[in-house]
Amino acid sequence: MQFFELVKHLFVPHTTNNQKAKLLHSESLFFIAVGLIVFQLLLGFGRKTFPQVLGYAANISPSEVIRLTNVQRADNGLSPVTESTILDAAALAKGNDMLAKDYWAHFAPDGTTPWSFFLKFGYKYSYAGENLARDFQDASSTVTAWMNSPSHRENMLNPNYKDIGIGVVEGNLAGVDTTIIVQFFGAPLSGESVIPVVQAKEGLVPSVTSSPSPSPTPTPVEVVASVQTTPKMSPFASTKNVSLLVTGILILLLSIDLIIVRRKRIARIGGKTLAHLAYLGMILAVLLILKAGQII
Amino acid sequence: MKSITKDLSHYLALFGILFAAFAGLIIFSYDKNFQIAVGLALSASYVAWGVTHHYIHHDLHFETFLEYLVIAALGFVLIFGVIVRT
Repeated sequence: MQFFELVKHLFVPHTTNNQKAKLLHSESLFFIAVGLIVFQLLLGFGRKTFPQVLGYAANISPSEVIRLTNVQRADNGLSPVTESTILDAAALAKGNDMLAKDYWAHFAPDGTTPWSFFLKFGYKYSYAGENLARDFQDASSTVTAWMNSPSHRENMLNPNYKDIGIGVVEGNLAGVDTTIIVQFFGAPLSGESVIPVVQAKEGLVPSVTSSPSPSPTPTPVEVVASVQTTPKMSPFASTKNVSLLVTGILILLLSIDLIIVRRKRIARIGGKTLAHLAYLGMILAVLLILKAGQII
Repeated sequence: MKSITKDLSHYLALFGILFAAFAGLIIFSYDKNFQIAVGLALSASYVAWGVTHHYIHHDLHFETFLEYLVIAALGFVLIFGVIVRT
């Protein structure tokens, strides 16, 4: 009985809570906000202290990225690109280079270009392109993000490309555990001019050389089929779920409050429940739409 | 619903603020700093809306102001946490 009274006190407008659910009182909302901030601080602390538990949990299969890329190309009337083990290795090397030198860009701080990885592994190109992604949970959301970006889409649907290589690497980038996906496109050199193309927002098109410098013999490559990480708690998913839960409960409480106050015609001093509902409803919509992952 | 029709202009302004912030947060999803700025602007605008609305209705009290402030801050904390983790 005491428990029932407590629930009523916390969730329903009643005489014990001054006709307003205790959880909707300003001081309760303040403590909820403080609780969320503490949760974020603990997540940050947990990532550093228990990286094996709190890290980025991704399951990106390179073959799935290639399959989905070809689905997009087929949908746009283009011929499929063929997986090249050389480009796979080059993409993997690019990913590892980003982790080793701690950068998130098409060009390394020391000036290393994406194309140097093509040549390093013996891929003499007539056309070459690169798409980068990080922090996506799966291949589908990655390809969707690329397709939604005009410049990356242009790369995905470039009819000049014949080959594709995917590299997926996991590691720490600027202090954050992350999964990087490198997508290399290429067409082997067959006499035409060399036109490297990099997908980025601006100013990243490299200077064009008339012909690539002689490249070393293709190196035997070892291609990682996919990255299967051990299950971890994703900080993004944890934050999103907790935020959705808190917002959902508050919206439910405000809805109950709105109905009861209207029915009982309770007069009280305070903000407009309808306005709070609209505000939190919009927050809920944003929380539902926001997704993890960045592309360049 | 009665209060919406009674204060239609007020609620239209509120929905305008909410829609503009929603669009800003989605369209500029590639720029975290801008998203955080939009979140802050949304929270501040919500408090301003609440204060203006109750001031016009002559029922603005400190408790009411505090309620809008706390709800706005809570909303900001909710989206800020997710934005920084994307």
